[in-house]
Amino acid sequence: MIVADRKPIEEIIEYIKDRDKVLIVGCNECVTVCEAGGKKEVGVLASALRMYFMNQGKEIKIDEVTLERQCDHEYLEEIRNIVDQYQAIVSLACGVGVQFMSEKYFKTQVYPGVNTCFMGVTEERGVWSERCQGCGQCILATTGGICPVSRCAKRLLNGPCGGSSKGMCEIGGEVPCAWQIIIDKLTALGRLDDYEKLAPLKDWSKERAGGPRKVVREDVRQ
Amino acid sequence: MPLKEKIEAGGFAVLAELEPPKGADFHSLLANADLVKGRVDAFMVPEMANSVVKASSLGGCAFLQNRGFETVLQVCCRDRNRLALQADILAAGAIGIKTVMVVQGDDITFGDHHQARAVNDVTLMQLLEAIAGLKNGKDMAGIELKGAPDFFVGSTFNAGAAGGALDLEIEELKKKKGLGAAFVVTTPVFDTDIFEKLLVKLKPVGVSVIPTVLLLKSAGMARYIDRNVKNIFIPSQLIESIQKAPDKPVECVSIAGKLISRFKEMGAPGVLVSTIGWEEKLPQVLDEARL
Ligand code: SF4
Ligand code: SF4
Repeated sequence: MIVADRKPIEEIIEYIKDRDKVLIVGCNECVTVCEAGGKKEVGVLASALRMYFMNQGKEIKIDEVTLERQCDHEYLEEIRNIVDQYQAIVSLACGVGVQFMSEKYFKTQVYPGVNTCFMGVTEERGVWSERCQGCGQCILATTGGICPVSRCAKRLLNGPCGGSSKGMCEIGGEVPCAWQIIIDKLTALGRLDDYEKLAPLKDWSKERAGGPRKVVREDVRQ
Repeated sequence: MPLKEKIEAGGFAVLAELEPPKGADFHSLLANADLVKGRVDAFMVPEMANSVVKASSLGGCAFLQNRGFETVLQVCCRDRNRLALQADILAAGAIGIKTVMVVQGDDITFGDHHQARAVNDVTLMQLLEAIAGLKNGKDMAGIELKGAPDFFVGSTFNAGAAGGALDLEIEELKKKKGLGAAFVVTTPVFDTDIFEKLLVKLKPVGVSVIPTVLLLKSAGMARYIDRNVKNIFIPSQLIESIQKAPDKPVECVSIAGKLISRFKEMGAPGVLVSTIGWEEKLPQVLDEARL
């Protein structure tokens, strides 16, 4: 899933402080799972904002709605009839949702309500970590299913850097060394031979380095 | 007279572009520089123009400086992060390079290593700001330097912009000036009347605007550039004159020489001559321009 984190409320206050009517829009997918932008978080943020502006003696009408997804036309269309009533929207979806909304409702200011972080997993409730950077040419088949692109601090593709100690990355902060995990996994699979092979130069043009990307599938296109 | 002094004194500076080779044999670089020794104020050494791998600008500049030529170093945001850029700029200062020109860099897709990852850690404007900081004795993290470099700083200007795009370009020029740019080198210019008006328009900004004179090689090349290269316009009479000329290379040299003369006449602060592969014709181009 796409993992996001809550934005400091001061930042959101700064965005909307001069508006009279604001809509906060949550998303029922990834950001609900990582507890940053689902229905619950929309409610919490809306109450905190109402409280803040009330204490400031300011009247701002803050409404709430949570959509199934914000990255599909179908669900974004659900607010078409009410959008014009608001001077601004705070979207608690990931950056994708914020943008799709902003493109669709071109005359409406849409603010991001979360910081979108990465594609990752829920290690345990309250702990999410990165697993994939969408490099466009997945190499997991040769690395025991563990991704060095997203999990090695130096994005090394041919074994560890020498800074790894006791299974941890040299950058510290309790980050496991990706290559330690890869080697452990290849050992468990009896496929250390894979590790011996020199990985070819990576084609970064398939990654974001090659410019904004697009997938077009003629077979499913309507 | 050093480049900076010449431009500041209102002279007409002659810059020639010399691309380092794709390879470690620098003989041709030196031979080409020798051809115009004493006739060019400084050599501008591009940093992998069009994202094609070549020896670096710093390498080319160091090599030429060593042989007594003044050079202009290009620093490019595409391939180096803020650490590498600052490291090279400090080294450049130490080996006596006095002028740097900041460029953003063409996209990787234009070049010969399509699968590479561009860096673009800092933007052109941020790099200008960083150089101002280095001159002031501080690196980008605000940490004190042991010995601050001193540079005459320049950047780029798109002379092909028109209408709203030109207004934006002028706004950017002001920003560049605010960040310490004293000169800019433009995209290749072939229409001197339009450029003369542009010079007048840009005068209040207070940055020396140096046009690029590109040595054409054939009518076909001229037509191709005119049709396909954004922001470069080549008047059709000019293309026709190459077409009709009995000796086309001579006509191309003559066109370049005349352009330089016109730029001098109209009071431009100098010119950058870009010969892209025809460096051996530099002396004739300068002859034609009576320089
Ligand atoms: S190799 Fe690329 S696509 Fe595969 S998991 Fe890593 S970043 Fe994602
Ligand atoms: S210690 Fe491991 S994860 Fe960290 S940079 Fe080195 S190889 Fe990569």
